[in-house]
Amino acid sequence: MTWLHTWFGLVLGYVLMAAFFFGSLSVFDREIDAWAIPETRFAPQVMPSYDTMLKPIFEKITPDEDGLKLARERVGGTLPDVMKPVTYSAYTTHRDPILDLYTAFDIKNPKDPHDVVFGHLTIDPRDGRVLSHDQLKIGSEFFYPMHYSLTLEWKEIGYWIVGLAALSMLVALVSGVVMHRKIFREMFTFRPKKKLRRSVLDLHNLTGVVALPFHFVFALSGLIIFAGIYFPVSETMLRPMHDKHEVIEAAELGLPHDAAGIPAKLASVDAMVAEAQRRWAARDMPGDVGFLVVSHLGDINSYVSIYRAGKDQVTQVGQGIHFAGPTGEVLHEEAAPTAVSGVMDFLTGLHLQHFEHWLLRWFYVLGGLSGCICIATGFLFFVEKRKRQHAAQGSSIVRWADALAVASVTGMVAAACAILVANRALPEGLAARGDWEKAIFWMAWLVMLGHATWRSAPVAQARISPAWREQCYAIAALAASAAVLNWTSTGDHLIKTIGAGDWAIAGVDLSLLGAAALAFYAARHLAKRERNAPAEQKTDRAQPLQEEPVHG
Amino acid sequence: MQEAQIKPQVVVSRIALGVLGGWAFVWGFVTLGTVLLVGAGVGYHEALNAAYLLAFLLYLTVFCWAFVTRDLPRAWLILAGGAALMTSAAWLLRDIVEVTG
Repeated sequence: MTWLHTWFGLVLGYVLMAAFFFGSLSVFDREIDAWAIPETRFAPQVMPSYDTMLKPIFEKITPDEDGLKLARERVGGTLPDVMKPVTYSAYTTHRDPILDLYTAFDIKNPKDPHDVVFGHLTIDPRDGRVLSHDQLKIGSEFFYPMHYSLTLEWKEIGYWIVGLAALSMLVALVSGVVMHRKIFREMFTFRPKKKLRRSVLDLHNLTGVVALPFHFVFALSGLIIFAGIYFPVSETMLRPMHDKHEVIEAAELGLPHDAAGIPAKLASVDAMVAEAQRRWAARDMPGDVGFLVVSHLGDINSYVSIYRAGKDQVTQVGQGIHFAGPTGEVLHEEAAPTAVSGVMDFLTGLHLQHFEHWLLRWFYVLGGLSGCICIATGFLFFVEKRKRQHAAQGSSIVRWADALAVASVTGMVAAACAILVANRALPEGLAARGDWEKAIFWMAWLVMLGHATWRSAPVAQARISPAWREQCYAIAALAASAAVLNWTSTGDHLIKTIGAGDWAIAGVDLSLLGAAALAFYAARHLAKRERNAPAEQKTDRAQPLQEEPVHG
Repeated sequence: MQEAQIKPQVVVSRIALGVLGGWAFVWGFVTLGTVLLVGAGVGYHEALNAAYLLAFLLYLTVFCWAFVTRDLPRAWLILAGGAALMTSAAWLLRDIVEVTG
């Protein structure tokens, strides 16, 4: 168990760091989006009118290039010249100033009649103005996918790596508990004044134990959310069963499974929304629309599904009501979920947290960051425990472990700050601006890795790598610059944003400044430790560690 | 396990057993579990979700077991054999079971 904890924790810990850190940032992804795209700095909006605003915009959507490329591979050749739109959908939450619209196009794949390719647009729902695709939503389109897939889309490899890391997190928690039987005592043990190795282990145990339920539930629910990727039975072995069920379910609910091929006009969707809101009000529930879908578009079998935004509940969207497209009459009103679906919806909503409770959202951030501390102190303990012995043996394993730890802890934070700096420093209207921002993120991280490797030589002599301190200074400089650049490029400084109660923007700036201050303090502290290092070594030899459990 | 005493082939075997053997075993569990529940009259998605909810707890259990068991060949037999048995059973039953909900 100790071996398992040590080595799986070390190797997959580098991935887990990214999952926990970018997951923590994703709690405020929409706020980071607004910070990164200044023209979207306005209050969250409700779903606008379909009939007057959304319909003409949906009709302008064309398939996304990336999707087309993948679709061509799927059909093994060319796609039809004209692709018929079959589904429209719009999704929003109580934190979204802007609205995302999606259209699914039928690609006439002979192998799969339901195969589609998507196109999307982002609009300002106040006036229907379309936003440029060149602007990267750094929160929801970069940090968030980084959290669950490292943005490695090829063959979904990123999802599998993060999935294995999540499983390793569960394993590390179980094996950690088995290794430390005095678990209750460790909840209250932190001796920061003791020697580095002892206090690092205390902090590792403390964060691991106090936040254990949080970490366990999030690693587990994360895996369950993507269960369909890790165990894709519906697309493979159980496909016949899945397809049969879909037909039966559609018949039972009165929702047509297939288009009839007979064209028909869509009745007023606004009237359907009003009816849905009337029904929610009758059940005493807030009536904001979260998700709106038009299926079998333009067909006599078309239907409109309207789901309620779940800002008052853990479950993300719910209480769906389905209307017949051509007539607007109610086809089906969803009943309360069954026990299994209820648990599933609850776990999904708990993980994705779109509810409106700011204090709880901040607890999510703290929970995620405590995971980062747990993993980072795990790295430090690994290195501290071995470095003297490895220095004596001339082994370089700890040197590499430490360099990777620097890159995945301070290096990652620095890269995240770098993309925000790039976002505010690159010229407006630069072609493919979002791609430049991403490139700068990866470059910055690579530079940090190179720097960490180059500066790690002292670790092989059982000393602290100066890279930790230097990268802390880099974080302090980058984070502070991002906040200042936000001021100079948009005029939104803290006095103005706080005064206006714009907490999305003020929150990002304050977090950046807080991170800068913390990194600066850490760098100063590290400098002091580096100076005192030889003295510490001597005391170590004189006093062997007391009461340390069996540990890897 | 002490760091110095572990044979590399045993380590590789345990990792492969935990990651791959565990995955195959859980695949068998998910497919057979879903098919059996559907056979018992549960709706397909309901059945699949029930299997998914338990899948990763089972994966965690067999993964840890792969690293603590003293009898590694027996663990391979149980996980690989169980995976093959459950998956084949699900394969056979999939066309027999009537989908009702």
